[in-house]
Amino acid sequence: MNVFSYKQGERLAEAFSRWGVEYLFIGKSGAIFYGFPETTQDADIFPAKNSANGQKLISALRELGYDLTPNLEYDLKVGKDFVQLRGGPFDLDLVFAPDGIETFAEAQSRSLLIDGKFPVASLDDIIASKRAANRQKDRESLPRLEAFRDYLRSRNLAALPTNPSKP
Amino acid sequence: MKAEFNKRQEWEREFDAAARRSLQERMEYSFIYTYKPVLDDAKFRSFATMAEYKEWCRKNLPQYLGYW
Repeated sequence: MNVFSYKQGERLAEAFSRWGVEYLFIGKSGAIFYGFPETTQDADIFPAKNSANGQKLISALRELGYDLTPNLEYDLKVGKDFVQLRGGPFDLDLVFAPDGIETFAEAQSRSLLIDGKFPVASLDDIIASKRAANRQKDRESLPRLEAFRDYLRSRNLAALPTNPSKP
Repeated sequence: MKAEFNKRQEWEREFDAAARRSLQERMEYSFIYTYKPVLDDAKFRSFATMAEYKEWCRKNLPQYLGYW
C-alpha cells in the first residue's frame, strides 16, 4: 500500500526542485491542493515533455526510490504521453499530454504555487482536462469540482488557506 | 430543482468544513488506497498516446473502475 500524503508531496517537490524538473500537479490530486474535499488514490503529475526534462525526471524519481528499468527510462526521456508508476514510494501517474490542455507552457502560465512549494495547474485547466478526458469517473466528479471552483470565486479566493487559524 | 439546490448547499457546507482544515489535514483525508484490479498489477505501464491509453483501459479494465 503506497498512499500519497503531504509528506510524500514535500519529498516529491523537494526532489523535483533539486533536479529542476518542470512539472505541475494536475487531476483530482491537483484539485485537492486547492482544498477540494474529495478522495483519490494517486498523484497525477504533468511534466513538460522534452528530453532534457525527461532526464531530470528520471534522476528525481530515482532519488525518490522508484526502481526504473532501462525501458521505462527510455519512455520517460522520449516523453510517452502517459506513464503509470506503481510499486514505488507512492503511486504516480505521469501525464505528458493531458486531454484538454494545449501546451505545458500555457498551463504553467496559469498555474498556482500552493503552500510555497507545490506547483499546481489551474482549476480551470484541471476541469478542462477532466471534461476532455470524459471518463465515467471524470463525468461523476465534474459537477462538484465546478461547484468548488464557483465557491472559491464567490469568496475571491485562489485556493483555500493552507493553514487556517483555529477558532 | 430543489434537490439540486440542496445538493449544492450540502457541497458548500463541505467546502466550508474543508476551509477550516490545514492542507496537511485535507491531504491525509483525501488520499486513500483501494486495490484496483489489473491497473495495480504492473510495476509500470507507458503509452505512446492518450488514445492508446484509453483503448487499453477499454479493453482491459472493468467498467466499474470508471476509466472509460
